[in-house]
Amino acid sequence: MAREECKALLDALNKATACYHHLVLTVGGSADSQNLREELQKTRQKAQELAVATRAQLTAALRDRGLGAEERAEFERLWVAFSGCLDLLEADMRRALALGTAFPLHAPRRPLVRTGVAGAAAGVAARALSARSLRHEAEGDFDVDDQRELEREILQVSEMIHDMEMKVNVPRWTVQARQTAGAELQASASASSVGAVSVQERTGPCDPSKALAATVFSAVLLAAVALAVCVAKLS
Amino acid sequence: MAGGRRGVQMPHLSKMERVVVSMQDPDQGVEMRNQRLRITVIPHTVAGSDVVDWLVQKYCISEEEALHLGTLLVQHGYLYSLRSPRSLVLRPDDTPYRFQTPYFWTSTLWPAAELDYAIYLTKKNIRKQGALVGHEKEHYDQLHRKINHTWDLVVMQAREQLRAAKQRRKGDRLVIACQEQTYWLVNRPPPGVPSVLEQGPERSSCTAGRVQMTKNMEFYKQEMERCRKALTRARVKSSICLEAYLKFSSQHGPHDPIMSGCLPSNPWVTDDDTYWTMNAPSVAVPTKLRVERWGFSFQELLEDPLGRAHFMDFLRTEFSGERPYALLEGPGRALLLRTLRVSASPGHGSGGPHLACGPPAENLSFWEACEELRHGRQAQVHAMVDSVYQQFLAPGAARWVNIDSRTMERTLEGLQQPHRYVLDDAQLHIYMLMKKVGVRARRAWQYPAPWGPAPPHCSPVHTCSLGSPLQRSKLRLRGRRACPSLLLKERSSCDFKKYFNVGAPGWLSC
Repeated sequence: MAREECKALLDALNKATACYHHLVLTVGGSADSQNLREELQKTRQKAQELAVATRAQLTAALRDRGLGAEERAEFERLWVAFSGCLDLLEADMRRALALGTAFPLHAPRRPLVRTGVAGAAAGVAARALSARSLRHEAEGDFDVDDQRELEREILQVSEMIHDMEMKVNVPRWTVQARQTAGAELQASASASSVGAVSVQERTGPCDPSKALAATVFSAVLLAAVALAVCVAKLS
Repeated sequence: MAGGRRGVQMPHLSKMERVVVSMQDPDQGVEMRNQRLRITVIPHTVAGSDVVDWLVQKYCISEEEALHLGTLLVQHGYLYSLRSPRSLVLRPDDTPYRFQTPYFWTSTLWPAAELDYAIYLTKKNIRKQGALVGHEKEHYDQLHRKINHTWDLVVMQAREQLRAAKQRRKGDRLVIACQEQTYWLVNRPPPGVPSVLEQGPERSSCTAGRVQMTKNMEFYKQEMERCRKALTRARVKSSICLEAYLKFSSQHGPHDPIMSGCLPSNPWVTDDDTYWTMNAPSVAVPTKLRVERWGFSFQELLEDPLGRAHFMDFLRTEFSGERPYALLEGPGRALLLRTLRVSASPGHGSGGPHLACGPPAENLSFWEACEELRHGRQAQVHAMVDSVYQQFLAPGAARWVNIDSRTMERTLEGLQQPHRYVLDDAQLHIYMLMKKVGVRARRAWQYPAPWGPAPPHCSPVHTCSLGSPLQRSKLRLRGRRACPSLLLKERSSCDFKKYFNVGAPGWLSC
């Protein structure tokens, strides 16, 4: 159904935006590196694809005159969430451009701020792309070219937002959100199917360490049991 | 952050950013240590004393100043304390601090948005299982009402951001959480903590904030505009300004209750309100200081309601034939004649020694009515203008005031579309006429005292002077070239001194 598709796309876009936000947080800090810039690029490109797809679907749905009032309200709710998400994405992209220009990676006079964040963020980007892991393939001057591309993409996104405002007329103040205050505390009550999939995905990377711990523990337990049996037999 | 609103980065924030970046230099920056939590080790910790030492060394300043600068950095969120993140002070000991990530640097260029704050509070709500307290709970409820339409997005983003954070190592997760907390402590301070981002009204003008580094065409255009505006401004020589300022201070100094104390006692200190009752707006006998103040200028006299009432009495009795003040012989009489000739304006019928300026008591009433119009209620402007016209300006009115023909023409034109300042010209004309009479009134009140013995507890004898002899001679010099009213002032100042002789018999003293 159109509504489910739209919801799924919106959730994916939401995830990509959240991951992008999380990655932009570390630009200019001690975790900034070529890899991070590459991850940023991949995440935002994925987010843009999802945005274009969502927009097409939602516009088609809202243009449909034959929608019932309740369905229409539902689509309008999705639309408001979608445009908010896109605003967040655009703002983060602008911020990334400003920070990337202010903290170029290979400038000796401009050291990165030592913030204490040191680890890699490949997992975050992988989550955004709904992939298991991420391969880094960038060459030397990646960040300089990336800045130029980022500027172009920001312009594209702003144009898209502007088009959306002009072409689809959804008054935001009439939309009633479904979530009440404190709705986030009901743990996975309103998680969608995509959310459930992502939960399973998330346990993926944790599996090796947990599996290792489990095997070590069971080995120790077996050894203890064997020792106890030997002691019992001997005595 | 969300929203297209972008301002200008304030210069002091740019400067702080430069300081922070220069602290990061691997060779000449601040010394960094590691922080050991139970299992995790997080690098890049600085001690407060290291920060202070580095600032002292780098900028060659005293330790006090370095401490102040360091505290500014912490208050604006560029450094945060690891032990007590809510107290935004720099301690010059081994308290550990860490630098804030550039995304979360305080910025007026990227102001913090409501949507982001809502997402942060929702994340905190999830982490604390619904135990938000105090002002955060209030803000959460407020935001839920304000941006209700995007609340779905808020919840979705909050959940996803928490899940994204779980992809990182534990140490990174902790650091990022601290960074976000510091950011919101600075941008949405708890109640009672002053906000560092508050700009006073005069500081939010863009021209003051922008620091132009490059001298491009834009810069020169702005310079030209600024110079052009400066040319059209009226200027006064600073020597004249400062003289006037000194004169004012020396004149009003003895009258100021803070500078010279007030007698009998300061009511705020001793709870004895004799001072207030003695200086009430309508009291039978004014204090000596008050009468002195009327001598400073005509404006002072008119502003004091008691002074105005006495002036009204003076006008009534003076020009109705009775002369209790007995100062119209000798220099006083010549003065009066000169006054009358000066105030007789051209284009008007009667001249000569007969009072050509109309009954002066009506002048004062007219002036008072104009003041009421100016400061009165907007809804009553029309009615008041009508009543003033009927009473004072219409030909054949009961209390007709005499204004010269040009002013009368302008006023009558303005009365077609009445507003509260339509009678300003006429009021000014009458004010100037009254001023000349006021000079004599103020003299008349010094000697003899028209209202009996002075009240007890009043101030010690003051000499009322018009400043140093140098100033007086300058006044005289200027007066020679200027209009007759200044001549009068100069002349009256001499007579003023003659009559206002300290130690003369019958002199008003306590």
